[in-house]
Amino acid sequence: MSSLLEVQGVSVTFDGFRAINNLSFQIGMPEMRAVIGPNGAGKTTFMDIVTGKTRPDTGSVRWGDLGHSLLSMSEAQIAQAGIGRKFQRPTVFEDQSVQDNLRVALKKPRGPIAAILDRTTDTDRARISEIAGEIGLADHLSTRAGILSHGQKQWLEIGMLLAQDPKLLLVDEPAAGMTTEEREHTTALLKRLAETHAVVVVEHDMEFVRRLDCRVTVLHEGAVLAEGSLEHVMADGRVVDVYLGR
Amino acid sequence: MSIFTQNRSVRIFIGILVLFTLGVTVMSEAYGTGAISVSFTKVLGMTLCLCLAALAMDLVWGYCGILSLGHFAFFGLGGYGIGMWLMTARTEAVVRANLAGGVIPPTEAEVSQATALQIFSVVGAEDWPWMWAASDSLFLSLVLIVAVPGLLALVFGWLAFRSRVTGVYLSILTQAMTLALSLYLFQNDTGLRGNNGLSGLQNIPGAEAIGQDRISIWFFWASAVALGLAYVAAAWLISSKFGNIIRGIRDDEQRVRFLGYRVESYKLFVFTLTGILCGIAGALYYPQAGIINPDEIAPIASIYLAVWVAIGGRGRLYGAVIGAAVVSLLSTYFTGGRAPDIALGAFRIEWVDWWPVLLGLGFVLVTLFAPKGLGGLVDYVVRKDRA
Repeated sequence: MSSLLEVQGVSVTFDGFRAINNLSFQIGMPEMRAVIGPNGAGKTTFMDIVTGKTRPDTGSVRWGDLGHSLLSMSEAQIAQAGIGRKFQRPTVFEDQSVQDNLRVALKKPRGPIAAILDRTTDTDRARISEIAGEIGLADHLSTRAGILSHGQKQWLEIGMLLAQDPKLLLVDEPAAGMTTEEREHTTALLKRLAETHAVVVVEHDMEFVRRLDCRVTVLHEGAVLAEGSLEHVMADGRVVDVYLGR
Repeated sequence: MSIFTQNRSVRIFIGILVLFTLGVTVMSEAYGTGAISVSFTKVLGMTLCLCLAALAMDLVWGYCGILSLGHFAFFGLGGYGIGMWLMTARTEAVVRANLAGGVIPPTEAEVSQATALQIFSVVGAEDWPWMWAASDSLFLSLVLIVAVPGLLALVFGWLAFRSRVTGVYLSILTQAMTLALSLYLFQNDTGLRGNNGLSGLQNIPGAEAIGQDRISIWFFWASAVALGLAYVAAAWLISSKFGNIIRGIRDDEQRVRFLGYRVESYKLFVFTLTGILCGIAGALYYPQAGIINPDEIAPIASIYLAVWVAIGGRGRLYGAVIGAAVVSLLSTYFTGGRAPDIALGAFRIEWVDWWPVLLGLGFVLVTLFAPKGLGGLVDYVVRKDRA
């Protein structure tokens, strides 16, 4: 398994506050990885760095077999290279139908002129309904995204990631605010995706992480504190300290 | 075109526009009963141009979420573009007529010199400023009407969007742009006659024998055609995936960016396109107004443009048109001395002074009771089932 994303010795400081401190991280494909850590551990900043929203002060972020640096690329270029990101708060285009949300996300030329001339082909339509089926929204294609339930919005956003056809999915708190049943669906969906993609899930909820049944990276104060199976990291005294308080 | 079959509002809008144009024509002085005076025909034609500018404003603000408070600058530039040609051609004709009485026929250089003196003596100059270089060619002037507003929008937008200036900061920047342009044009040595502006624009060169009654209705038709074409084009644009993307940018720029779209390119495209639309609207407006001066592009003008769209209902094309038409016609009514003043004993309501108050009140009421604007009320009537 070659490495898909390789983050090496990355540090970033906001107004003197060290949000990420010499962080290294690596993931291959296919793989599922859970990133956990208390508030302020740097989980979201880590995602910001990988997706190009935040530029680190030092360190390198390399991508793919050729090891291209992501640091010189814009958010849009990184997304086109194959990194999809789901935000903590479900962000879908509430004003538009499920179908249109997926259509906008669908992997196709991204320029303005191409978008003006774009016609939805049968292939596109088939792909959209395939994804809608995957995320359990097949019956809601023409529903306005704004009136979906919270859980459905989370799924739609995951569906939009899928439509992008990324290699790596960064998923921030997918289970937040979901019912037990919805969580089960989400777990199954993510596990299925991890068979063909690299999936990084940032989560607070230990029960959810346990269900994902994957390797876990614990972040604390902007650095990796421990890594391994959930049992392994929870047996680590430092991890327990961080979670239960000193 | 499929846009007609797919989009009912386009069919209805074009239908109403055609009926309105026919109605005005059969009541015009030149081709009908004369119930509508020449000056009111001009007001209606100008209103259509303002509707076109509002349509552009709705695209950039209502659909793409960029609250530009500088789009009237592009409108003014379009006006100056056509104004330079009109003034040059018209003045040259007058100068030729005057010189024709002499024993020796004047040379071209003499005509040109005399024309320049005629135009620029008001600001103490006698030579052609560089920016009038294309003013003797109608074709080049028409090119500039599109190119100058387009280029300004492109450069300004590129600088602003590349630096990710958004929200209120962008609005302030666009206000600064239109204010700077207005102040620049106010200077006598800019070359556009300072605060005198360009005048006599209602006189169309080569059409001296044709009365204003006919010219006014021709411009009214041209304005109606421009608005109709722009409406169809805008409806087509927003019905494409491009429309979905710019609405996405309006609602969640970050999401669009992380889907792999270069948000800046889209914003720049919309900003420039709407700048050009405003330029065209201005080029049709000022020959009907007859005069343009730097006051036209004062910051308040662009704010009015936003107010029209807000009152009409942003994010729906007909909303912008309704807003611009209703508010600008009411404005003409109340500030044009038509509205009877109301005497309240010692106090007297003079509408010229009270119109801004009325407009402000209307704006507040619409915001409170019809957040989707007057256009939203149309929805309410047409499709109650969807609330």
